[in-house]
Amino acid sequence: MKAAIRHLKRNKGRSLLTLLAVLIPVYTLVFMFGFASANLRDMFETATGLESGHFQVREVQERATGGTLPLIDDAAPILATLDAEERVAWRTVRLDVPALASAGNRSQAILVQGVEPETVARITPIETLIVDGEYLASGTNGAVLGEELAVTLDLTVGDDVILLGVHPDAAMGVLRVPIVGIYDAPDASMGRSLIQIDLDSARALVRRPTAATAVVAMVDGVTGPWDVDVIDEVTSDISASLPAGFEIVDWRQLAPIVDSYMRILRPMLLLIAGTFFALGALVVVNTLYLSVMERTREIGLILALGSSRRRVMGMILTEAGLISGIGALYGAVVGVALIWIVEAIGGIPLPRQFADMMRALGLSGVLHLRIDTANVILSAVIMAAIAMIAALFPAWRATKFEPVEAMRYVE
Amino acid sequence: MSNDALIQTVALEKTYRTGSVETPALNGVDLELHAREFTAVAGPSGSGKSTLLHLLGGLDRPSSGEIFLEGTAMSGLSKDQLSRLRLTNIGFVFQAYNLIPVLTVLENTAFVLELQGIVRSERIERARKILGELGIEEYADQYPNRISGGEQQRVAVARAVVSDPSIVLADEPTANLDTTTSLDLIDLMRRLNSEKGATFFFATHDNRLLDRVNRLITLVDGEVANDELR
Repeated sequence: MKAAIRHLKRNKGRSLLTLLAVLIPVYTLVFMFGFASANLRDMFETATGLESGHFQVREVQERATGGTLPLIDDAAPILATLDAEERVAWRTVRLDVPALASAGNRSQAILVQGVEPETVARITPIETLIVDGEYLASGTNGAVLGEELAVTLDLTVGDDVILLGVHPDAAMGVLRVPIVGIYDAPDASMGRSLIQIDLDSARALVRRPTAATAVVAMVDGVTGPWDVDVIDEVTSDISASLPAGFEIVDWRQLAPIVDSYMRILRPMLLLIAGTFFALGALVVVNTLYLSVMERTREIGLILALGSSRRRVMGMILTEAGLISGIGALYGAVVGVALIWIVEAIGGIPLPRQFADMMRALGLSGVLHLRIDTANVILSAVIMAAIAMIAALFPAWRATKFEPVEAMRYVE
Repeated sequence: MSNDALIQTVALEKTYRTGSVETPALNGVDLELHAREFTAVAGPSGSGKSTLLHLLGGLDRPSSGEIFLEGTAMSGLSKDQLSRLRLTNIGFVFQAYNLIPVLTVLENTAFVLELQGIVRSERIERARKILGELGIEEYADQYPNRISGGEQQRVAVARAVVSDPSIVLADEPTANLDTTTSLDLIDLMRRLNSEKGATFFFATHDNRLLDRVNRLITLVDGEVANDELR
């Protein structure tokens, strides 16, 4: 070990190059995975938090309803099933009713979303987007609508809006609701078309006191898309115990764009990581091979003195192990430090056009990074292991020297 | 083979091949080397001195013939067995590039003992002892590039004898040294031979050293031209 350290010190330039060949891929990958991880987390949270939850229980759709979810007459059996599963962290009942909103002589086709105000906050950002008035309170007759719809219908807080429910599974219903809040929607189409009211009011609109269109649930212990296996496991178990006529729709079906993004992103990241690993390995092979060739006489001497070839191989691999280990460790430290610095200054603001695009998708206009411990460790360990594998060739080459010829070697 | 021979060669031949060109280096050398001898093999360049040493040291294999080291036929040994034989039975002093640059004088001296698996405390003790006996203990913590060529060769001799091998093979150990240093080195080897009973067999083409040996073998064109006791 001591000799290996001295060998590395003897040619500082080359040792530094080898070190960098391991260090740079590791910190780049840590940074890249940090970005991808944060990005995926944001997309996943947005997708599951805006509407869908981790999964929903709905009635099996046996007939076309023009894009409207079929009515569940009584959500109680579903709630009982979900409440019996301790891995379900949270659930809420929702009733979506296509409707016509009217005020004065103006009307607009919209979606009325009946929600439980106390619990719905986890899957809707509307409470945090209120710019005038306040959010819904349970058991009170009121509605919140987007700024765009308020402009279209010329409504303000305190005015009444007439809702004409047209759910295909129910008779038409009419409801007069006072506007209690106006929200600033993340995208204009939502602002033009979504009104939230209390669940009981929505049930009155379809004249069914226990109706729902979906029970939305979140699974315990899910911190991001990397935990989808947990969701899959829970939904699989619940699916087996649900009453007949109901089905589970998971986040993949509810937010297919996130699923597609993850499916594309993962192989791309692996391809990039593989390229970095390969480049690092090539530099390690090159520099160690040069090092071995420069030390041909010395290796010849060691073999002549009676060293086993395994020991010579061990000598080269010890040097490779040292430099790979140090390079990988420092690479991980640099990568984590960079992420930490970026997050300490509040992330990297995206250019305006990109930021607007991201906000339209419900994402942040600031680029955030996330320290993913597993990825940091994996990047460092895999790079170090690949560097060691790469070092096998020069080490093997060293064992093939014939002592006499090696000692005659002229550089 | 005579019973008391440390090394015996029988009809030893070595021919180097480069493409279709064959260059004979040794042509049927029959020799016996005995324990405690201080033998030089002399001869002009290209006479086969280095080749003979390499074959005797198991660093190369003969084209034909046989070498017996303490009764063991070397031709039957694998590469790994030859390595083990070199490690335990033979000490080497080469013409140049004798020392490992990243090890100190003490570590270089103890290196063979380390290869033999001797514990650190013992190998350090033995290396210090031999360095003391050869008068170079003061350089123990120096790196090879900080000491002179003569001192480096002394360290090489120390490393060659530290493990008490059956024989020390030295290939032109004084070739890169001036006259005084060369004579000092040979005297040192001679002293180890007479005081510790170390067996030396070294190649040289320097006539000034030859009156210090008690046996001189002269090679000419790969054959033993003369073998005399002195």
